[in-house]
Amino acid sequence: MIECPREADVFEAVAFGRWPAHAGAELQAHVAGCEVCRDVAAVAPALHDDRQALVRASHPPTAGVVWWRATIRARAEATRTAMQPITLWQGVAAASIVGVIAALSGGLWQWIRTTDRVGALVGLFVNRHDAAAFASVGLEQAVFVLLGVVACLVLAPVALYLTLSDD
Amino acid sequence: MRDVTLSELERLGVEAPDVDATFQMDEEAFRLFYDRTARPVWAYLARMTGDPRLADDLLQEAYYRFLRARATHDDDAHRKNYLFRIATNLAHDARRRPRLDAAALVDAAGDAADPRGRDVAGDTARRVDLGRAMSRLKPRERDLLWLAYAQGSSHGEIAETLGLKTSSIKMLLFRARRRLAALLREHRR
Repeated sequence: MIECPREADVFEAVAFGRWPAHAGAELQAHVAGCEVCRDVAAVAPALHDDRQALVRASHPPTAGVVWWRATIRARAEATRTAMQPITLWQGVAAASIVGVIAALSGGLWQWIRTTDRVGALVGLFVNRHDAAAFASVGLEQAVFVLLGVVACLVLAPVALYLTLSDD
Repeated sequence: MRDVTLSELERLGVEAPDVDATFQMDEEAFRLFYDRTARPVWAYLARMTGDPRLADDLLQEAYYRFLRARATHDDDAHRKNYLFRIATNLAHDARRRPRLDAAALVDAAGDAADPRGRDVAGDTARRVDLGRAMSRLKPRERDLLWLAYAQGSSHGEIAETLGLKTSSIKMLLFRARRRLAALLREHRR
């Protein structure tokens, strides 16, 4: 048996504070002999009293405070949602800058290769007998490479900062 | 995601949304509903999580989610069941971090003396026993028992709150009640 028709009577007696002293001898006798009602009589008063104590002890914030906090949060969320397209376009702009820098670096590299400046530099590295020629020609060629490196290391972060900055 | 700055708001011309359109009820209706439900919901959250401070946080979160929900309710009873459903889910999420501490909860309620002048020491001991026994139950069993015997919810209301079939409540409640009764008797011996 998982239920008893008198279960509701026991719970009602608990809920209205009549259990066990003022519940009546007949109901008490029934509970003593009914397994289901005995469990209800063991569990219900404990939970009922616990709830009463917790409700008395609770100090929830006022409705106004909860409403105000909810309003602030809803507005922040709405604003964040409105900002999403902007964030997307900022991402696209950043990706474009990276692409342009990559393309410029590739072009620079191609230019160096086609004009055989790398070969001249490598030749100078291999044949170090002429130190003066290495210094003059090597430094002259390195200027182009340095310009590319500066573009990547300095200009790219500055461009990214300007694109993604808040103001 | 980074925070939204005031200058961005001005640049965008974003105006504060109409909260009455954002929330499912206006402020006056919310006040009435909140005043009727806040304490029972807090008590439920406190007992289910075993942590009064966590219950404070979850209470705010529960009402926020309730207000933002696009649900329609036939009456106040359905609205209350829906709120308890949100609270149940929040308590379940919070339970993943073990916190159930019977003594902390009893301490929190300790300063609220029963106006009827009952045996305070006896009540405290019984509540500690209940806390320990509850902590040994499955979360779903705790929910069922609280809603049935502390809240006095019907089987239909419990089913609606916990997202279960009404027909299964009777058996689930029987098993949970049997377990808790046995644990309470064990503690009292």
